[in-house]
Amino acid sequence: MTVTASTETTVSTGASQVSLVDLLDRLLGTGVVLAGDVVISLAGVDLVEIRLNALLTSVRADMARPGRRTP
Amino acid sequence: MTNDAHARLRQHLDTDPDSVARELFKLVLTIIELVRQLMEAQALRRVDEGDLSDEQVDALGLGLLRLEEAMDELKSRYGLTTADLNLDLGPLGTLLSDSF
Amino acid sequence: MSATARYVFAVARGLRAEDLTGTAGLHGAPLRVVEQGGLSAVVCDVDLAEFGEQPLIDNLEDLTWVERTARTHNEVVWRVAGCATCAPLRLVTVCSDDDSVRAKVDALRADLDEVLDRVEGRQEWSLKVLVPRRPAEELATAPSTMSGTDYLRRKREAAEQRRGQGEDAARAAHELDEVARAHAVASRRLAPQDPRLSGRSEAMVLNAAYLVQADAHEPFRTAVLTASERHRDVSVELDGPWPPYSFAVLG
Repeated sequence: MTVTASTETTVSTGASQVSLVDLLDRLLGTGVVLAGDVVISLAGVDLVEIRLNALLTSVRADMARPGRRTP
Repeated sequence: MTNDAHARLRQHLDTDPDSVARELFKLVLTIIELVRQLMEAQALRRVDEGDLSDEQVDALGLGLLRLEEAMDELKSRYGLTTADLNLDLGPLGTLLSDSF
Repeated sequence: MSATARYVFAVARGLRAEDLTGTAGLHGAPLRVVEQGGLSAVVCDVDLAEFGEQPLIDNLEDLTWVERTARTHNEVVWRVAGCATCAPLRLVTVCSDDDSVRAKVDALRADLDEVLDRVEGRQEWSLKVLVPRRPAEELATAPSTMSGTDYLRRKREAAEQRRGQGEDAARAAHELDEVARAHAVASRRLAPQDPRLSGRSEAMVLNAAYLVQADAHEPFRTAVLTASERHRDVSVELDGPWPPYSFAVLG
């Protein structure tokens, strides 16, 4: 069973038509990454920063621990 | 001359008194979904390793099934789709679905 | 009161100052050309309070600031590349004054000449190949009567199907890349884009740049579009021609 989706082939020119992410790829060099941090602000005031990358790393390390069995 | 401008761009979750509860809930749900998918991937790996008894495999599967049901219920209650949650995670979400 | 520095957008060969009329630099600052050894550095004045080393550390973490700066930077580079052979610089190259700009051009002369030779009469194309993500498999019929073992089996089958799809997509990307490279003088693979930046939920299996000779743009475009017709299960995005950013890596 193959899932098919319509092919979208788009061609565009012009400075303003370049997407931001394409610009960042080129203007910021090697692979732009959103750090996986979320700053939560309320009513315009930054309050809390959550480091999602750190969370993911610690969860994966835990999950990957071998030999954990319920007795 | 070339500046190694390697930006660590951060996302801002701008809330106001009316939206803060929903936005935070969405974030929490995203993290729960993340953990659920990780558990699923790990469970499949452990099953493949072949050192689990049939009862253990069934119990694992059942637990994950209940977890997915609970997640579906939570998502539908707040009108969220899995796609909504994936985008919030960005590269982490990508990492996840590519890993299994 | 605040000190100024020079923000350098690009170094060009064969650029005339009048080519830049009508285009402004950052915050509307006028563009100037600093000549050195037959090359032209395109600069504008910026405030060290915003572009100094310390303020930059903060500003570069702010997506809004980065976007604003990147867009202006791109407009300038685009203009320069349209009038001359242009070696675009990455975002935020700042020198203290005109003499410092000249010194940099001298120091990087060999690299600059190499880049300008490489990009002369050529432009960049961007090719991206994306695969729609499978929607999450739903717990369709009678979930409460399914056994745990069956559940895991279904999950494994879904994972294998995804893997197969991934392999098909990789093959499609590989073929399109080969077709593109056959019509280009150089190519470069870029990292797949962060979905939060691109706003796309599909998986990106190819993000590449190609340097194409001026008289080869049409054959290049046609060849890639024709090849993409053979791979209707992936999305193909072809953009260009652009200034040769990806082929002007300096230092």
